[in-house]
Amino acid sequence: MSSISSPVRQDLLLQFEAAARSAAASIERVPYSAESLAAAVKRIATGRIAIAETLDLPPDLFADLRKLPGLVRGRSKEELAACDVGVTEAFAGVARTGSVCVAVDHDYSGAISLLARMHVAVLSAETITERPGDLFNPRYLHGKTLQRNFVFITGPSATADMGPLVRGVHGPHQLHIIILE
Amino acid sequence: MSNPATVASPRTVANKSEKPALLGAIRMALEIESPAVRHNTQAFNSGRYLATAAIPDYDRLKDQARATKEAAIARLPELLATLEASVKGNGGNFFLAKTGEEAARYITKVCTDHQARLVVKGKSMTSEEVHLNLHLEAAGIEVAETDLAEFILQIADEQPSHLIGPAIHYSRERITALFKKRFQTDLPLDTGEELTRFAREMLRQKFLNADAGISGANFITADTGSIVLVESEGNIRLTSQLPPLHIAIAGVEKVLPKREDLAPFIELIAPSATGQGLASYTSVLTPPMQAAPALSDSPVQREFHLVLVDNGRLQMREDPVLHEALYCIRCGACLNSCANFQTVGGHAFGGETYSGGIGGSWEAGTRGLLNARFSELCTGCSRCVMQCPVRIDIPWLNSNLRERINECDLEKSGSILEKAAAAQFHAKAPLPKIFFGRYDLFGKWGSRLAPLSNWINNLPITRALMERLVGVDRRRQLPPFASTTLSSAARRLSPSKASSCRGKAALFPDIFTNYGSPERGLAAIEVLRSVGIDLVLTEVSADGRASLSQGLIKTAQQQAQRTSELLLKYIREGREIIVVEPSALAMLRLDYRRFLPHDVFEEIRAHSFEAVEYLWRILQERQLNAADFFSAFRHPLGTRLFYHSHCQQKTIGAAAPTEEMLRAVGFDVATSGVECCGMAGSFGYKKDFYDLSMGVGEDLFNQVRATEAEGERRTLVATGTSCQEQLHAGLQRKVFHPMELLAAIRATAEI
Ligand code: SF4
Ligand code: SF4
Repeated sequence: MSSISSPVRQDLLLQFEAAARSAAASIERVPYSAESLAAAVKRIATGRIAIAETLDLPPDLFADLRKLPGLVRGRSKEELAACDVGVTEAFAGVARTGSVCVAVDHDYSGAISLLARMHVAVLSAETITERPGDLFNPRYLHGKTLQRNFVFITGPSATADMGPLVRGVHGPHQLHIIILE
Repeated sequence: MSNPATVASPRTVANKSEKPALLGAIRMALEIESPAVRHNTQAFNSGRYLATAAIPDYDRLKDQARATKEAAIARLPELLATLEASVKGNGGNFFLAKTGEEAARYITKVCTDHQARLVVKGKSMTSEEVHLNLHLEAAGIEVAETDLAEFILQIADEQPSHLIGPAIHYSRERITALFKKRFQTDLPLDTGEELTRFAREMLRQKFLNADAGISGANFITADTGSIVLVESEGNIRLTSQLPPLHIAIAGVEKVLPKREDLAPFIELIAPSATGQGLASYTSVLTPPMQAAPALSDSPVQREFHLVLVDNGRLQMREDPVLHEALYCIRCGACLNSCANFQTVGGHAFGGETYSGGIGGSWEAGTRGLLNARFSELCTGCSRCVMQCPVRIDIPWLNSNLRERINECDLEKSGSILEKAAAAQFHAKAPLPKIFFGRYDLFGKWGSRLAPLSNWINNLPITRALMERLVGVDRRRQLPPFASTTLSSAARRLSPSKASSCRGKAALFPDIFTNYGSPERGLAAIEVLRSVGIDLVLTEVSADGRASLSQGLIKTAQQQAQRTSELLLKYIREGREIIVVEPSALAMLRLDYRRFLPHDVFEEIRAHSFEAVEYLWRILQERQLNAADFFSAFRHPLGTRLFYHSHCQQKTIGAAAPTEEMLRAVGFDVATSGVECCGMAGSFGYKKDFYDLSMGVGEDLFNQVRATEAEGERRTLVATGTSCQEQLHAGLQRKVFHPMELLAAIRATAEI
């Protein structure tokens, strides 16, 4: 099991990327800086963008993001539902399943990560842990996860209820994961 | 068969406490729902095999989950008290409803107190159980089911047909037709995408305007008052987080002691259910969360109610058998791995809410024993047992339900003849159950009187009578009784010819082989002796399989007792026990743990082998080349085989050795990929289930056809007697036991 202070384990990072891709997420690595992050989001995001506050990452890291055109500041259901892109921090990643963990009641991250057609999850590489069960280990992230309201997000929302597999149901059609290195 | 009655609708046959409803439901399902159910369950089933194989410590996780559940149910009253304190401490409300009615009324009152006009709902079997929608609607509240499957069912007014895929019986084409009819729209609705977009747009509006959200809960933790919600569409996240009022309804059995206990469950549920590593969304929440986004810019304070439903569960907890069902995490693996379920789905193999192998116990516990009548569709094939993430012995639960239902039926409607038969055989069950359950006695007399008994058996009048009295379908031919049983035929065989003794064993002539197909046993004896096994025959004894499968549990218990004493004698002489019929072997290796002291069971389990399994083991232990003894190229019918292993044989891990052995001697072996042939012991002989049984068999027959379409014909091979009968019935071709193949090879060698 990894913890927040441990160095990035390359094997976990690679496993995470492969698993996330096979869960139909798109993924890229970006240098750890506000400018690179903003540039990366700018490349893929168009239209109205809602950006949640950071949780474990330093707030400055999202500073440049907020200068992007189309930023939505409101937090009403209607404003959030009208967004094209929602950006949130993911405070942990799970290598085996390619999941990202998002704290849902932190600045409406739940709604921001769900209502837009694209969800961009910003993940710090050293938070990637091996398996889902690690999130329930009191030592992981110093037990912080045990107090959080969070969701494991594994790929975009999907259904097989209408016959064939369809991606993009009540939640995003696309999940894009940006790994900060 | 009854008249080709008009096809029932799912609702009218939801309650199957009376037999005609069950039979009507099977007809309906075979006629309409079967193709979609088959396609969807089989996709889930293969997904699960792949996903669970990718978990390195799968077995350990299952043990851990099982142990946690056992402890949680044992401590349930205390956990409920802890949970109540946690939820209240978090600022939420807690309500423990004794009955479903009480739960539905409480929730309706919370909603009306909030002047809720529109409620969005996530999928919740418990809310179906308590008929929540009816109550809400009666109070003038609009209920929007937001899970797309539940959305379909709400439009169609049908009950769920699967624990996790409630509309699994709908093909895309049928959904299109349903939507077109209901919504009278010109929008294109001809693909999964179009249908999904249509529903999404409609439901998005409901989410934004909803006054309350009602969800279920997959797991609840007592120490923190947290709930876990597993889904892939995102509707449950919206339901639980968008409206200012969130109500979660769940059965009391969902409570686990600690948040840390969630680990194995989170890792098991999605692979077991849908074959994913995790579902798209697995939310871990401790409500009430601080604030919900509002329609205006200022957030609104949330309110949370956790409604736990007893509705018979606390009584199940006291039940020596049914308490095991409370460990269920509703993953649906036992549905998807069940050949009968794959063929008809939960509208036939299910009750008003709960379906599949585990569904009977739930319907019995929450509604009443007779509501579990559909559990008769459980053949006891055991394919689900290893698939259950909490290791519930589903066929055992169903055998017990059968015993209880038998008693009820006999008391309610048994004829004088039936009551007399019941008294005679010391079994409180209707005649058909006794007939199939006591094959040991019928077989004994049938063989003594053969060929007269076979002649009588085949008379049209006898077949008609058998159908009326004991329910054997007249289209089926009962296996003829052997005029020379295995045990008498074996006496005439010469003892072991080989000079060196490579192993000591005793062949147990199970009743099916002994009275029904002694030729398989004889082949096994010849083959084993030919490689130098010092082999004797034990006395005949009913192992208990037949009686257990009919719910004659006390009889099975006595038979297990007697058989174990018999077998132990041989084991203590240093002999391994060889069994030809896999269902009998599975009794010894699996089911006897219910009937015997642990050490006795373990001793028998460790020393019992399927005949080929034993042979393969000896050859390997002695580092002998199997092909030197049995070269496939000498087999008169050629080397191309189609091998179907028996359901219980697979479960106890005795299928692979036969495949390995046959390949090792040079056969080109194609294998079946079905869970069960559909005959499943006596199941397929019953007139009530003939069509279902043949429907299940269709998959197997088609696999044979498809394999042969690629090349020339293959020799059909099966280890189980009933599989052999089924293959013969479906393809009208001779089917061999693997030992018969090997014996034929030896015979050519000797010429
Ligand atoms: S034992 Fe077989 S028939 Fe019974 S529920 Fe399990 S898989 Fe289905
Ligand atoms: S009985 Fe086991 S396999 Fe079946 S739904 Fe419950 S947990 Fe899953």
